[in-house]
Amino acid sequence: MAVDYAGARRRTTRVRRLEEGAEAFARRFDWILFGSVVALVAYGIHLVAGITRDDVPGSPDYYVIRQAIYAAVGGVGMLGVSLIDPDYYRRYWRQLYAVSLLLLLLVIPLGTEARGSQRWIGIGSVTFQPSELGKLLVVLGVAGFLAERARRLGEVKTVLGTIGLVAVPALLVFIQPDIGTSLVYGAALVAMLFIAGARWLHLGVILFIVAFTGALVVWLLPSAGVDVLEPYQRDRLTAFVNRTHDPQGASYNVQQSILAIGAGGVRGRGVENATQTNLDYLPEHATDFAFASLAEQRGFIGAAILLLLYLLVVWRGLRVVTYASDPYSAIAAGGIVFALMFQVFVNVGMTMGIAPVTGIPLPFVSVGGSSLVTNLLAVGVLQAIHARGRRR
Amino acid sequence: MASGGNGRSSGRFLPPDPRVVEPYRLTPKLALRLAILGAITLGVFVVLFLRLWALQVLSGDQYLRAAQNNQLRTIRVEAPRGVIRDRKGRILVGNTAGIAVKLWPADLPEKGRYQMLKRLGKVLEVPAPQIAREVDKRAHDPLNPVVVKENVSRAEFFYLSERQDEFPGMRLVKSNVRDYPYGTMAAHVLGHVGEVTEPQLKQRAYSGLVAGDKVGQAGVEAAFDRYLRGAPGLDRLRVDSLGQPRGDILPLKVATPGNDVELTIDADLQFAAERALQHGIQIARNSECYGCWNANGGAIVAMDARNGEVLAMASSPTFDPRVFVGKPNPWRLKPLLDSKSAERRNFPGLDRALAGVYPAGSTFKPVTALAALEDYRVSPYEALPCTPSYTYVGENGVPYLFKNWNPYVNTAITMPIALAWSCDTYFYELGVRFYKLRSSPLQQWAKTFGFGAPTGIELGPEAPGLIPTPEWRRRYFKDGIEKLWKPGDSIELTIGQGEMTVTPLQLARFYAMIANGGRLVTPHVFKDVTNPSGVSIVPRPTQPTPKKIDVSASALQVVREGLFRATHDPDGTSTAIFSSFPVEIAGKTGTAEKWSSEYNRYFDQAWWCGYGPNDAPEIVVCALIENGGHGGTSAAPAAREVLASYFHVRPDEVGVVSSSETD
Repeated sequence: MAVDYAGARRRTTRVRRLEEGAEAFARRFDWILFGSVVALVAYGIHLVAGITRDDVPGSPDYYVIRQAIYAAVGGVGMLGVSLIDPDYYRRYWRQLYAVSLLLLLLVIPLGTEARGSQRWIGIGSVTFQPSELGKLLVVLGVAGFLAERARRLGEVKTVLGTIGLVAVPALLVFIQPDIGTSLVYGAALVAMLFIAGARWLHLGVILFIVAFTGALVVWLLPSAGVDVLEPYQRDRLTAFVNRTHDPQGASYNVQQSILAIGAGGVRGRGVENATQTNLDYLPEHATDFAFASLAEQRGFIGAAILLLLYLLVVWRGLRVVTYASDPYSAIAAGGIVFALMFQVFVNVGMTMGIAPVTGIPLPFVSVGGSSLVTNLLAVGVLQAIHARGRRR
Repeated sequence: MASGGNGRSSGRFLPPDPRVVEPYRLTPKLALRLAILGAITLGVFVVLFLRLWALQVLSGDQYLRAAQNNQLRTIRVEAPRGVIRDRKGRILVGNTAGIAVKLWPADLPEKGRYQMLKRLGKVLEVPAPQIAREVDKRAHDPLNPVVVKENVSRAEFFYLSERQDEFPGMRLVKSNVRDYPYGTMAAHVLGHVGEVTEPQLKQRAYSGLVAGDKVGQAGVEAAFDRYLRGAPGLDRLRVDSLGQPRGDILPLKVATPGNDVELTIDADLQFAAERALQHGIQIARNSECYGCWNANGGAIVAMDARNGEVLAMASSPTFDPRVFVGKPNPWRLKPLLDSKSAERRNFPGLDRALAGVYPAGSTFKPVTALAALEDYRVSPYEALPCTPSYTYVGENGVPYLFKNWNPYVNTAITMPIALAWSCDTYFYELGVRFYKLRSSPLQQWAKTFGFGAPTGIELGPEAPGLIPTPEWRRRYFKDGIEKLWKPGDSIELTIGQGEMTVTPLQLARFYAMIANGGRLVTPHVFKDVTNPSGVSIVPRPTQPTPKKIDVSASALQVVREGLFRATHDPDGTSTAIFSSFPVEIAGKTGTAEKWSSEYNRYFDQAWWCGYGPNDAPEIVVCALIENGGHGGTSAAPAAREVLASYFHVRPDEVGVVSSSETD
């Protein structure tokens, strides 16, 4: 009896504790962030359905189904990650960082090449893009490094160490080649240094060096005969500056993209009549130029809804930073949010001709599992940080 | 695990971690930085929204139009060319529907473009470098297609239409191609159609055309291109980014078909003339005359003597006009374009009737006769000696000997007999009389009769021929002695020898003037132009009016008598051919010596020119057989066949068919 009693009591305690825990978790969960991300993903799948309707002859739902599966996987992952204490990441940041390097290094011998770039690893029938997951892992890892040296942030050594830690994976991504994603790494780096509290002087020097290097790579070195970038990359970057340089070549994509967005008008041309998308004038309309395609089909209203959802997610993300209970969480959250914002800006800006053409997917919308799952996992990390944030 | 980590980490026996234990607060510094991040985020989204607003709301309409044009290609729809008919309405050149393979350079792939052209060239048997060259030429005008091949075969059509995806930028387009129901007949007269050339595009007559359009490039097709051409229509076609058509064609403007041109050519007579020409060449080859084995070309002109309507115009060797149809195969065109290759085949592209120049030989004697009569160098019935040879003693006392073709005569004859017998010495005497004059009346008259200048026929280019004058000699030659006009020059000119040259058409025109009583006609092939519903659209009169020549009727009568005697007197040069012809024919043979550099000697060019019926001439015929021996041998029988066809004479009515060994 006693045993039974004790067992029953223990069980009730455990149940009660679980219930209390779940209640507390639900209370500390950022439902607005969750809701806006769910809305974003659902809206993204809806948009992809319109965009890719004609892409696979005979099966208009091909990409929608795949994208829904990825969303489901990512959703489960997001919920799972939101339960993990971010403190684990802080403690094991070296391991996380090592895994990210390992994955990126694996691409070199194992990677499959597509469209002139070696970015993917095939696992069975699924291909996986390590540079996407790497974004999250590098942010979590480098945030740990910064948190460890929080008191010595004013030192140049720390800043240089941080830069070095990001530079290695960024370089591995750069040589795949995938300029866009390596730029995202850079953006996350700057954001993390900023949030961690690096000195203004150092930040200023970094920004100057970034600007100078950009100019060097794009204009000065080629004119001196040293080509750091592949010719197509330089063409795409300079085409952004010099639009009419070659209408059939590098700037062709951007021109068609601007045409598609403009043609969408206020209400959009609808799925059927979006000729820029349906007649393949818009290249990569399911991935890099997804925004142009959806803006053509859904118009200003549809595109504005998407941008507002992004704004909502980014706003909630920044709010998570303010609730972070420790420097590590704040730095990691800042890196994640800024990287997301950077991707949205560069991708959407690219399609509208106000940012250089780099192969960055549109977060939560572009067809592609690695990007969608990684972004959902990143939101999961934000949720975990929020849940364990300071009492309000 | 779910219930938060704060309490748990403090509950373990771990050394206190100074970085964690110290409570983390939202310091003013962090708040400032977060505010900056927030401001950046807001700024970024404001920029994106503004740009989106500018593109979609402010200039949406403009981009919408641009997007709509993006996928529309305007395609020129070729107008069917007008039909060319003969004088009885029979179609000489028609149209058939063909399939053309066209490339839109704008839609060609950037990568693997040359490989694609190579594959296409292999399928269509068109050299790939040629296609690539034309595509490159169209680089500044990428929306106008390049025609790779017109009139592809069924096999090629099926092959390509099944593999459209493999050839982005290629389209199979319906086209009209020229069709020749009579095969090679009248190829030189009809000419051909070809793509408009770059120099032509700059000309006024071709304004409104674009590269790739087809225009007449020779013969009737070129001469009456303005009637035949029509106006192209415009179609709109939706294409995807690879240039593959999607959806239906929207017609914008319907093509206006070209107008039909009716020619003065009579298909029956043309057919007869071409057969007669081959017949004449064959007779010459079968004859035993020296050099006649080399008989390999010739021309026949049959013309209405009264108004200059060309009824038939044949030239041999000829070519198949179909080699020009569609995109010509360069190998098959070679004999027509490349001079070396053309020489081997004896210049099939040359229209000998109006561009071939030959010494006229004895067919020129009526010119001499008329000039002498009109210039009072001789009276019609003044008898001059007809002897085996003629000796001219020059001022320096040196005798020059000029032979008569007939060494067995020795009598004095009058002009009609001289023409009938074609007695050379009679005309040599006239030549000496001309030589003694300061002016050059023979040349003046020859010029008046239309020699030495193009006849003005619509076709071309015509050769003017040459009537040598003392002045011409001075200008043309460099050498001192060659510059001088010598008695021999005058003497040789009287019998149509020496440097003089004429075209068969010029001679036919001159004989028409004799036949019609002194009116110099302008040879022409144009009869009428009608719109596709058959209504004539050219205001009359359209026919050129003959020019009255100031030559006396009596002089013409003397020459006409001579020409009639030449075909009917026992000793007439072509009596054997024409005396038994049911219709009275008058005409003159000619045997013109032409220098052959290949054999290093003179070869005889056979001529016959004449008309009938003698009392009221309707038709004039001039026949020339290159290296055909004596005029009576090959040219006269050929001309008789044409006349037989014109007068509907059955072969059994013609009588004995034999050649006469006379000049």
